[in-house]
Amino acid sequence: MFWTLVKLMSTDMSRSSTSVAFRSTLKRDLLIAFKKKNDIANPFMFFIIVVSLFPIAITPDGDRLAEIAAGVVWISVLLASMLSMDNLYRSDYEDGSLEQLLLSPHPLFFMVLSKNISHWLVSGLPVVVAAPLLAYMLSLPQEAYLTLIASLLIGTPILSLIGSIAVALTVGLGSRGLILAVITLPMSVPVLIFGTLAVEASVGVGSPAGYLALMLAMLAASLSLAPLASAAALRISIS
Amino acid sequence: MIEAIQFSSFSEFLDMGGYAFNVWSVYGLFAVFIIANLWLPLNKRKQILREQKRRLLVNEERNITTDDKQQ
Amino acid sequence: MWLWFSKLGSPKWFYELSGKWLPWLVGAMIISMTVAVVWALLYLPPDYQQGYTSRILVVHVAVAGTSLAFFPLMAVAGTITLVWKMKLADMVAKNAAALGAWFSFITLATGSLWGSVMWGTWWEWTDARLVSMLFQFFLLLGVVSLRSALEDPDKAAKACALLSIVGCINVVIIKYSVEWWNVLHQPSSPLSVNSDSPNGPEFWIATIIMVLAVYLFLSISLILATRNEILQRERRAQWVQELVRNS
Repeated sequence: MFWTLVKLMSTDMSRSSTSVAFRSTLKRDLLIAFKKKNDIANPFMFFIIVVSLFPIAITPDGDRLAEIAAGVVWISVLLASMLSMDNLYRSDYEDGSLEQLLLSPHPLFFMVLSKNISHWLVSGLPVVVAAPLLAYMLSLPQEAYLTLIASLLIGTPILSLIGSIAVALTVGLGSRGLILAVITLPMSVPVLIFGTLAVEASVGVGSPAGYLALMLAMLAASLSLAPLASAAALRISIS
Repeated sequence: MIEAIQFSSFSEFLDMGGYAFNVWSVYGLFAVFIIANLWLPLNKRKQILREQKRRLLVNEERNITTDDKQQ
Repeated sequence: MWLWFSKLGSPKWFYELSGKWLPWLVGAMIISMTVAVVWALLYLPPDYQQGYTSRILVVHVAVAGTSLAFFPLMAVAGTITLVWKMKLADMVAKNAAALGAWFSFITLATGSLWGSVMWGTWWEWTDARLVSMLFQFFLLLGVVSLRSALEDPDKAAKACALLSIVGCINVVIIKYSVEWWNVLHQPSSPLSVNSDSPNGPEFWIATIIMVLAVYLFLSISLILATRNEILQRERRAQWVQELVRNS
């Protein structure tokens, strides 16, 4: 709240450009995230715990784990990103700073984009960094590591951008954990498909480059379209 | 017309070349689906009309007794 | 054109017009449905590969084809809701989501009843159409549950409109990515016979009539549900109160 006010005052006084507002929103969100460490730590812990449940439930056998490793990592990433999605707009909605954001003179598209980026930096990036460790524990073949990291680096922002639409649509609801899952999970299917296909291709004969390129195309499309939908959704939810 | 029918007896018709269960359950499901999706809105319409008529009559009665304002 | 458009948006006008159309639509549906069902069940010669199970496909193909119309329909209605704020479009969209979920479910059920004979299994992940239909079903249920979660009807209308547009784009992407995924995961395909195998012209004529019948059914069911919605939302309007009083 305080930061938003500061930001709004500064933008009003200096008539500064949208890029300044973009950066200050980003900085503010990152600061808040680092103050509330739980919000970063919990989805991350959730990701690690879910992944480590699979060998217990399925098999400790390395060969069989290697077969499902990519899928396990991807599904856990998907669930963790959905869990962390919940606090993308919530606290801002509760303290009223989201409303201020809507009233700010800058295009909402960039404001939403900056919130998505900061959210990905604190929730998506740690997961990507931890992925090789977990892939090792699931005995994923070594030649697939690079592809796994690359596919996660491209894929997790897409998940954040898609999830942001659903969160924005349900921001005013009291209990929305499940409805968020029902809306977002089917939409993440393409990312899941190409993410796992890329890893599989790098293990087998094919080349993962094609899948990664397709994922990049999806990232570009969702970077330009999803914030638009999120912004529209926020305007609908807060009116 | 009659000669073009694929079956010579009724029991043969019911048997559907051995796929009786699958063919007839598909057509049964289809029939239930269509009838349900026509009957449900019609039934709801009756409910709505009944409910709104009741509300309307109650309101009118109240207006007559209190007589403070017209609807 | 614009006069016509705004007139179409008026619930009263729609209610009266649809009241005039309904008997014709119902008549046409009964005739085409009877022709299609009788043809399919009595006259359709058994397929040389599928035997009498091609009878299942007449229903399955018609319902499946029609169920693909729901997301485009809802996306168009959603655009009209968001851009022109037409109440009628939302009334149609609200009922379309639930009906679309029904359609997808019936498609899956009839598909697996056919598959249990032809593929020897009730569910087959290697069939891209089944899998993408499953996700279309989930997405439609998502729209339905978003609608029921949001209490403010105006907000729910706009939110579902937006979700329908996003979902429509997403369904297309899901369809293509599932097909791609499917091509790569077919080491031993049981789908030596798929539903595109040569069926006779009799089959396709029966199916086309069935498609017509199912589309008529879709519009009748949607019109009936929309009329209910009009009665509920416009209950304070003079003409609805008169209609209720005379009922």
